[in-house]
Amino acid sequence: MNPGPFLLLALLALAAGVVGGPRFPRAWLGVSLTASLAGLAAALGVLLGAPDWEWRGVWRLGGEAIHLRLDGVSALFLVLLSLVSGLGALYAREYWPDAENPSSAPRGRAWWSVLTLSMGLVLLAANGLHFLIAWELFAVSAFFLITLDARGRATRAAGWLYLAASHAGTLVLFAFFGLLAARTGSWDLGPMRDQPALASLLWLALVGFGVKAGVFPLHIWLPSAHANAPSHVSALMSGVAIKMGIYGLVRFSGWLPAPRGAAWALMGFGAASAVLGIVFALAQSDLKRLLAYCSVENVGLIAAGLGGALLAGAGNEAAGGNLLLAGALLHVWNHGAFKALLFFGAGAVLHATGTREVNRLGGLWRAMPWTASLFALGSLAVAGLPPLNGFVSEWLIYLGLFDAAASRGEAAGPAGLTAILIATAGALALATFIKASALVFLGAGRTPATRHAHECGALMRGPMLFLGATCVFLGLGPLGVWPAIARAAASWGGALSPVGEPPVALAMLGRAQRVLAVAAVVVGGALWHRVHSGRHRRGVTWDCGYAAPTARMQYVSGSFAGIVSGWFTWILRPARTLRRPRGLFPAKAFHLERVPETVLERVLGPVAAVFVRASNAVRRLQHGRLSFYILYVAAGLVAVGMFVWVGSLR
Amino acid sequence: MNEGTLNLLVGLAMGLNLLALGSSRLPALIRTVAAQGVVLGVMPLLIEHETLDWRVAAVAMATIAGKGVVIPWLLRRAMRAANIEREIEPFVGYVPSLLLGAGGTIAAVGLARALPLLPEHSGSLLVPGAMASVLTGFLLLIGRVKAISQVCGYLILENGIYLFGLLLIHSTPLLVESGILLDVTVGVFVIGIIVDRIQRAFDSLDTRKLTTLRE
Repeated sequence: MNPGPFLLLALLALAAGVVGGPRFPRAWLGVSLTASLAGLAAALGVLLGAPDWEWRGVWRLGGEAIHLRLDGVSALFLVLLSLVSGLGALYAREYWPDAENPSSAPRGRAWWSVLTLSMGLVLLAANGLHFLIAWELFAVSAFFLITLDARGRATRAAGWLYLAASHAGTLVLFAFFGLLAARTGSWDLGPMRDQPALASLLWLALVGFGVKAGVFPLHIWLPSAHANAPSHVSALMSGVAIKMGIYGLVRFSGWLPAPRGAAWALMGFGAASAVLGIVFALAQSDLKRLLAYCSVENVGLIAAGLGGALLAGAGNEAAGGNLLLAGALLHVWNHGAFKALLFFGAGAVLHATGTREVNRLGGLWRAMPWTASLFALGSLAVAGLPPLNGFVSEWLIYLGLFDAAASRGEAAGPAGLTAILIATAGALALATFIKASALVFLGAGRTPATRHAHECGALMRGPMLFLGATCVFLGLGPLGVWPAIARAAASWGGALSPVGEPPVALAMLGRAQRVLAVAAVVVGGALWHRVHSGRHRRGVTWDCGYAAPTARMQYVSGSFAGIVSGWFTWILRPARTLRRPRGLFPAKAFHLERVPETVLERVLGPVAAVFVRASNAVRRLQHGRLSFYILYVAAGLVAVGMFVWVGSLR
Repeated sequence: MNEGTLNLLVGLAMGLNLLALGSSRLPALIRTVAAQGVVLGVMPLLIEHETLDWRVAAVAMATIAGKGVVIPWLLRRAMRAANIEREIEPFVGYVPSLLLGAGGTIAAVGLARALPLLPEHSGSLLVPGAMASVLTGFLLLIGRVKAISQVCGYLILENGIYLFGLLLIHSTPLLVESGILLDVTVGVFVIGIIVDRIQRAFDSLDTRKLTTLRE
């Protein structure tokens, strides 16, 4: 099956979406879904055995002939892009309707199509220059989607921060692609492992793509951008857009000769992001910000797996390397599925209550049973619990790391340490998502905001159901997706040999997961039956002896996270304001706690403040007196003359 | 003989520089600048002593007409429109200006000796004269606060550049020469209009007061 016609169809559909989207919402939904299905067909065709698709056009853009390629790796990411962008388009129809957002909804449709199109072009571009053009278009269209509702100051600030960070990364990528073209003599991209002179360039790629992927400490833009964007945009950003950074890392770590240091850095920073990302997530009380930090964790997991695979490839330990690579690639899909599901769920909560602050929510499962169940399902998946999909990819990464740790090679110690760190991150992820689900959906409503909550409609529930089913399917039948992962790993082009037969562990895991799922359903059914059989007396929860308890006397976000945040105050640096109750009849008492974005506010902020102060000092020279300006010119002339004169004396 | 006459004229221009630095009355300043323009305009005729070609003649005529007649006329008009006669309180006083100008002229002569000039230019005063004029122009621009005095400083600065240009008169195309002259004339014309507007809007021509629009 040739993917070319499908890709052309997707391109035409998205172009139509850009042009006609603002005017015709129904038609836009149609063309968006068409583009998604066409993209999905093309990508699945390649993943399930069609040969790589390559196309060289006769047209030139920027002096370079257009050159597109769809191979295993790009197809893997294209599946995710098609899936999430299609579901997001469906979700947005109810979540961001024209009736409530008369100016921003039409704009949003056009930018959504631009974003999808540009990400698709990033995946297909096989020419460095065109890759950069598509990358820039992608960054800019994402900015306009994040600031879709630009009335809030926080949203505008988040948008600018995103744009600045993104362009800092793009600047590094310009250097990367420029040097690559200068050293190879051509802008064409492809496997270049036989040119050892290119090895040092991989460092630039790590930084440039690391910013987009949100690897700690380059993640500064990520939490605020994901939290303030409309939820369907957050889902696309977190599920797919940051994966474009991962795509760059995967692509160029496979195509370029990898220096050992880069592989170590990838594994080290990956493990650090996994732990610190989830620590920050646990400390958040903003639901979407929590999810955003959790993305930092998952990106770290993928990066650590990729770094481990590079190390294993260099050390000729193909078995462990294959597992790590497969785990990292599969986690790209898994994270895309459950993170999009969770952001859709958070969007449903925000839509129903108007707040993202978990300390104002509570008890929503009665009003929103579908959302609550699906959010809980996503939480289980993201926490890496069996029998869902998060466990499968993490399991593969663990196995690979154990393999490396048992090999007694030089990577043994660090691999063991990484496994421990990832396991820690997994445990913290469980705590984080128990907190998030419990505070939002269980207990009693804390504020009036929860009183009018209502379940979301079919257009929002459908995409969530689909993603939930995907999580279950990927968890129960991991062997089913193995051919696709193996195909992507084979076209990775790294030192590892193509992954052939599925590892035995995966087949066993699939069986164990299904058994576990059946057991969970049986136990759950039995419990439900017992609770509803009427043999139990219902009473109030033990109220600690308070005469008149209120809903506000429930655990809040800070109390859930208190102990763990206490271990990590060295990095979290929470700002606390405490006023204890004093006297017999205390009038007022409070405890405020705010967790800053440490890298941004405690490291980059002070450095930037020094620059601003220096610039302000220099600005005093700009006082508006013409005579002095001319004096500056004269002094500059004399200085240049002296410089030349002194130079000529030597 | 031409060499001697040329040096005499350059010396005259340098003297006019000092006169410009020392005069507080604006009509005197404008007259000085006009006289310097005429002196400079005569110079190309003296340099080109073998054959008097039409190009050099055209440059000389245009310079005399522009710097000696048109620009001073424009300036006088602007002065009348703005209704001011003298520079009352300059940044740099007249005596210090004169001392600085004299010192600068001496330094320019000294510096010109140290420069690696072509042998045919080493005996001429053109290079020190040019540097002294540029320096004087800067001094006027920096030291005076009235817009019209600053325009005169700008013109003297431009005269210095013109003196440098005389060294290259054979290799500079006519188009460039005329372009520079046109630029200067238009510049003064525009400044004349602006001076009028500033005077009407602020009732003063003190450039120290024009600092609000600094960014």
